[in-house]
Amino acid sequence: MSKKVRKETIAVEGVWPVGSYVYKAPTLYQELLEGFKQKKIIGSLCTGCGFVYVPMRNICGRCWRKIDARVTVSDKGTVKSFTLSQAVKKGQVKVLGMDPVEMGWLKEGERLIMVLVNFDGTNSKYTTILLNAKPEEAHIGMRVQAVWKEKPEGKLSDIIGVEPIK
Amino acid sequence: MWRNIAVIGVGQTKHGIRRDINAAEMIAEAAWKALEDAELGPEDIDAIAIGNMQGFGGICQAELWSGDLFAAPGKPVLRIATGGTTGGSVAQCGMYQVASGLFDTVLAIGFEKHSDSKEPGATMGLSHVGLANMFHLLANGVDVRTSFAYGGGVGAAAGVSAYQACEYMHRSGCKIEHLDMVAAKSRRNAAKNKYAHLQWPNCTAESLAKHPRFGEIVAYPLRLGHICPASDGASAIVIASEEIARKADRPAWVRGLAACADEENQQAENAQGVSILDTSEQMQCRIAAMKAYRMAGIKNPREEIDVAEIYQPFPHQELMYSERLLLFDDGKAWIPLEEGETEIDGKLPIDPSGGVLSTNAIGSSAMQRVAECALQIMGKAEEHQVPKDVKNAVAHGWGGSTNFTVVTVLGDTPRLRW
Repeated sequence: MSKKVRKETIAVEGVWPVGSYVYKAPTLYQELLEGFKQKKIIGSLCTGCGFVYVPMRNICGRCWRKIDARVTVSDKGTVKSFTLSQAVKKGQVKVLGMDPVEMGWLKEGERLIMVLVNFDGTNSKYTTILLNAKPEEAHIGMRVQAVWKEKPEGKLSDIIGVEPIK
Repeated sequence: MWRNIAVIGVGQTKHGIRRDINAAEMIAEAAWKALEDAELGPEDIDAIAIGNMQGFGGICQAELWSGDLFAAPGKPVLRIATGGTTGGSVAQCGMYQVASGLFDTVLAIGFEKHSDSKEPGATMGLSHVGLANMFHLLANGVDVRTSFAYGGGVGAAAGVSAYQACEYMHRSGCKIEHLDMVAAKSRRNAAKNKYAHLQWPNCTAESLAKHPRFGEIVAYPLRLGHICPASDGASAIVIASEEIARKADRPAWVRGLAACADEENQQAENAQGVSILDTSEQMQCRIAAMKAYRMAGIKNPREEIDVAEIYQPFPHQELMYSERLLLFDDGKAWIPLEEGETEIDGKLPIDPSGGVLSTNAIGSSAMQRVAECALQIMGKAEEHQVPKDVKNAVAHGWGGSTNFTVVTVLGDTPRLRW
């Protein structure tokens, strides 16, 4: 039996057990999500330099102190940066092997406006999407407020996104 | 106080989609070219530093099984991975070892082989890196639609770079047209560099912007033509002590080096790194540059630096980092760009090799910045050699989520001792 000469290496189809990853989420998230249940955004306050982080942190990145204090901050804020996704068609892109349109994550031809929001009273940015606005309306300095789910469950998805303050 | 050191040999493979060789062969090609250039044999090398950013390329831990090919047996080997800065960190690791007096010659190698992976590569996907973070976001009940925002729609460093470009444009007042000009310059320069990946002779800002495919905006404000490729390639340098370097024809002396980190500013990584209000601020780069210049005895970088190799996978970064490397006024780098000052034959050429925008084999990229600066000083850059006597050159690298910076200053004379 003669061997078949191949220019390329042979690709072997297979299933990769990605479920075997067991990552530990930061425990601090539980505090943030508890606040979400009451439609509150809780941040950490560094008593050394006054920096407020949302989501909260254990150690201040600015002055390296341990952080214990907590503050509730406003759910209104300012857009600090943004980017736009392409208008995705069905079968055009795959995310982790899945089609975002087929999965119902995106509508056909929809463009997501992705924003970094600086909530009032914080020194950090929160990453989310801009709702109820056209792509051409997005700009740095835009005033926005959080859009909460009707019945928050203590999940990150309790904040659906932000919308312009009219 | 450290002793004087120099880069005495440089080796690079052709970068691009290299289906003709495997990772180990690619590493060996660069390593042996560097040894040949330094006129040394493998027996003359005391130690080896090597690095790639595993997870970015398709190959994991190629240094484990490729050691024999770069003459590692019997020698200490260190492996380093710091994201985009990997190559710069590997080079600086070799420099620390020789400067400290521990070793006299160190071979430093950076490599990456993206094409061995089916993933779209480090520039357009990185879902294999973001996967772990994705799981914990899902565990905390994130909405998948919102999770796209963490990666800026394109993921990882490319994601943070889209936000960063928007912030930089807002701060500096530069336009997408300026990003086109940087990208076109990079592709043009790459056409003169035989090791570069994306080569586009005579590319202009207009031809790039109007191109049906490359002109398309993939993540505002970045066009497809603004984004670096996922390349395969390896590069290596030989670092030697003053005594050995004196025997070389024209070594590139290391006059100053610094590395500095800032807070994480990437969204996807555990959603924690969001504290830097302006990701285009990049103060760690300014700090590293000031430290490296002070060590090099450079008082006025604008006058004293002859060529800069900036790590710029996205065009706004060439402008932003040239300001942070103190080469131009804050927010004004687009003015010398318009005037052609940063062209190969300009007053201050930036990335005459084409830079990372045209060639990005992650582990090799920041190493290439040091290697290209060395070539410019040695006068061996061939077609993309800048037409002037290069006395000082600065090599830059960013990594992590644009929050790590390495800066290395090379010169034609040794660092003065004081």
